[in-house]
Amino acid sequence: MEIMTSNTETIPGFKITKSFGVATGSTVRAKHIGKDILAGLKNIVGGELKAYTELLMEARTEALGRMMMDAGQRGANAVVNVRFATSSVAGGAAELFAYGTAVTVEQE
Amino acid sequence: MYEFVETESVIVLALILIFLVFVAFFPLAFIYSMLFGWIHQSSRAKKLLVREQRVAGVVGGDNIHTLSSPINLEKISQCGLVMTNITVSPSWWQLFVGGIKSIFGGQIQSYDKVLAYGRAEVMQRLREQALGEGWSEIINVRVETSMVMNKVKGRQQNKIGTLEFLAYGTGIR
Repeated sequence: MEIMTSNTETIPGFKITKSFGVATGSTVRAKHIGKDILAGLKNIVGGELKAYTELLMEARTEALGRMMMDAGQRGANAVVNVRFATSSVAGGAAELFAYGTAVTVEQE
Repeated sequence: MYEFVETESVIVLALILIFLVFVAFFPLAFIYSMLFGWIHQSSRAKKLLVREQRVAGVVGGDNIHTLSSPINLEKISQCGLVMTNITVSPSWWQLFVGGIKSIFGGQIQSYDKVLAYGRAEVMQRLREQALGEGWSEIINVRVETSMVMNKVKGRQQNKIGTLEFLAYGTGIR
């Protein structure tokens, strides 16, 4: 079953019937040294650093996937009010954290 | 005795080469940044404008907004989280100019441009992703800024000024 995600408090057009508490998912990633050097070279002219963009997106997708898995294990069919948090841990690693409220919804 | 001298001279030669590379690389890279950074960034900004106009032509307005309820859509059958990101950094030249400006304070235009570009680009990617995935509009859009990976060799500062912009919202159809 596909879990619907939303960053609004309620999913418009749907009714929340039951809440299962907070579903969370997180991942910690460090940057690759080779990519880091390449990004450093790219940094000379400025603009986008594609290596970092892809790395962070990949990590965030994984955090979101873990959050949805957590919600699925609780028996929910939707996660509402999803938020993201980013924090840098030691030595160039970053933690990407996604959390939201696991609920069951019904179409009105 | 002869061989000893030879190996020594090779080591000295290698050291001189490494020294030359370091001494020559940084000024050359700096000059390169000064000359071509501006061209590179403005060409990206121009391409972004073209893309914005194309999406505006297809959608007929804007398909992302920050309200928590839909504007055009009457009946919703499906929704999902849509997110895009971009990592940007100023060029060496812009960092240098910004560093000098920050002594006196006031507006720092060189950073301004980079941040404005990053934010515009991330919003445009959200629009394009909405079109690509078939969402008819994206509601409750939020844009977040974070400085990730900002510990350089144990020092608590972001040496190369890397910023990440994250735009996310709920896609509905």
